[in-house]
Amino acid sequence: MATERSDDRSTLEAARKRWEPRFERLRSGWSRFTEHRMGVVGLFIFVVYVLWALFPGVFAPHSTQWVAYLGEPPFDARLSAEQIETLPHPPAFGDPFFAPLGTNSDGQGVLTLLIYSAYNAMYIGLAAGLLSTLVGVPLGLISGFYGDTWIDETIQRFVDIMYGLPFLPFLIVLVAIRGMSTTNIIIGIAVTSWLNNCIVIRGETLSLKERSYVESAKVAGASDTRIIFRHIMPNVLPLSFVYLAQDAAGAILAQASLAYLGLADFTSLSWGIMLRNIQNSGYVFQAWWWLIPPGLALMLLAAAFYFIGFSMEDVTNPQQ
Amino acid sequence: MTRISGRYLAKRIVVSYLTLLVIMSLLFVLLRSMPGSFITSMINPQMTREQIERIRETWGLNEPLWRQYVQFMINYQTGDFGRSPTYSTAVSELMLRRLPRTLILFGSTFIVGYIVGPLVGMYLGWWRGSNKDKSIFSSSLLMYSMPSFWIAWLFIWLFNYHLGWLPSSYMFTQFPEFEWTAFTVMRDVLYHLALPLLSVSFIGWVGAMLIMRPSMNNVTEEGYVFLARAKGLSERTVMLKHAARNALIPVATGAIVGLAFIIDGAVVIENVFSWPGMGQLIVNAVLSRDFPVAQAAFFVIAALIVVMRLFTDVVYTYLDPRIKFGEGE
Repeated sequence: MATERSDDRSTLEAARKRWEPRFERLRSGWSRFTEHRMGVVGLFIFVVYVLWALFPGVFAPHSTQWVAYLGEPPFDARLSAEQIETLPHPPAFGDPFFAPLGTNSDGQGVLTLLIYSAYNAMYIGLAAGLLSTLVGVPLGLISGFYGDTWIDETIQRFVDIMYGLPFLPFLIVLVAIRGMSTTNIIIGIAVTSWLNNCIVIRGETLSLKERSYVESAKVAGASDTRIIFRHIMPNVLPLSFVYLAQDAAGAILAQASLAYLGLADFTSLSWGIMLRNIQNSGYVFQAWWWLIPPGLALMLLAAAFYFIGFSMEDVTNPQQ
Repeated sequence: MTRISGRYLAKRIVVSYLTLLVIMSLLFVLLRSMPGSFITSMINPQMTREQIERIRETWGLNEPLWRQYVQFMINYQTGDFGRSPTYSTAVSELMLRRLPRTLILFGSTFIVGYIVGPLVGMYLGWWRGSNKDKSIFSSSLLMYSMPSFWIAWLFIWLFNYHLGWLPSSYMFTQFPEFEWTAFTVMRDVLYHLALPLLSVSFIGWVGAMLIMRPSMNNVTEEGYVFLARAKGLSERTVMLKHAARNALIPVATGAIVGLAFIIDGAVVIENVFSWPGMGQLIVNAVLSRDFPVAQAAFFVIAALIVVMRLFTDVVYTYLDPRIKFGEGE
């Protein structure tokens, strides 16, 4: 019994010893990350949005069913004509109802909608960003390393073909073919946005492989795969982190643009759809409390992705 | 000293042409796999079967798909873009009218963006890590994160709705009290251009800056910058003459990304400002299933992008002598 326990402890010890350097690297990376105020701010915004996305009920003052004057369902009355006159209602704090950011023309609380929409934006940003990075970066690395061979040719011709198709109009075609669900919008964004990653990573790889350390690795007998993933990839990783973040932010903004053009799943809640609804109901220049918050929310989330991405670049590539 | 061989260039031109053919084929398939057809807006329930058949016949929809495809490819080789069913004009005429308008709006924002962006990027990259860099960089990222139509609305709200200084839509005054001369046309266009230009440039310049900044920062560690400093050249000369020129290489590639961004921005911004350009045309064509116009619009944009990409590859070899294309042939 006793010997077994000591065995346990020794394997634990060994595991800890093995993992110690990695933890150490993570810890120093974290401390370098926190040196960037921009990254910390980005992370803070990100965490707030994650909390909003996961527990909207905790933060939102009402449920999405809530209607001004009537309160939560089931409703025992209907809105009177004078009450409808006052919608969209500017911010009100208790009198005649509580809606810190006012209401829209349907009487829903703007703050409530804002918080419940975080999930959608988060999902679209992360999924589309990850998808396009996972496709774009490896293809860019391979294409750049085998520059001027048939492998590079094939990948680049494919990129050329996709690149000739303008992003948003092409996205509209894809969404029209596959239907306007959130998943299809994500797939559409990923299909069109991995190209940037591929082109930039290829360009970087093209100039990196001329460096002397790649030459010496080659002379030392390293295989192509080893050179690509061991010697070149660490040097392009910072850039691909930046592009992952950029893709995520771009995806969120693209979804908003699509919603503005009327291509969105209008049964779901999103900031882009909120903005679309303002325009549809003709209150763009009358209801600032309805116009400003969704745009600000979009901006802050996209900015959070950019902030984190660019600070990560500094962490993985410390040059100062 | 040519760094690019004639044979390589010829090969690239042929390949670009083939790329365009593939893009056209892809478009043909994709546009036709969208549900619906432009024919639905022309027929109504009162029509007899024969009438509908006749309309289908006129637009060549009764032919088998492969023959439509062959016809489409042959027509495009000879520069025949067909007629638009919704605009009832020749598509080529429509393109010729719309393309310059988009180029006026987005060409000017492109120029503004690619002058301001690299300059700010150069400055931030050179002084990377300073407080000035941090604050300018993070605020420009905030700008870059704004939805374009939203910031356009805010500008319209301020300059049009609130102050009443600038017009918020169209390219020309709708019912002018002045006569159309070359001067008044130009003045009128500039007047209408101001707000869209401001809205797009407000966001657009950051793209170029984002490429320039890290590139500039990488260059600061190169030997030739060290050498230039050691020679006793002033900081300004080193930055402008020795570092910035080399740091511009990725920006050149980025300009192509910027070109694609033009059309994306055009789609939304032209919609906001009712600017009668290509962006609006292509979206309306796709949404109303006007295949002749949508195909032609995609084709024009694709041709533009393919030609520009070819052009950058040539420029690339001149900017960075280390990269040689077509050497091994």
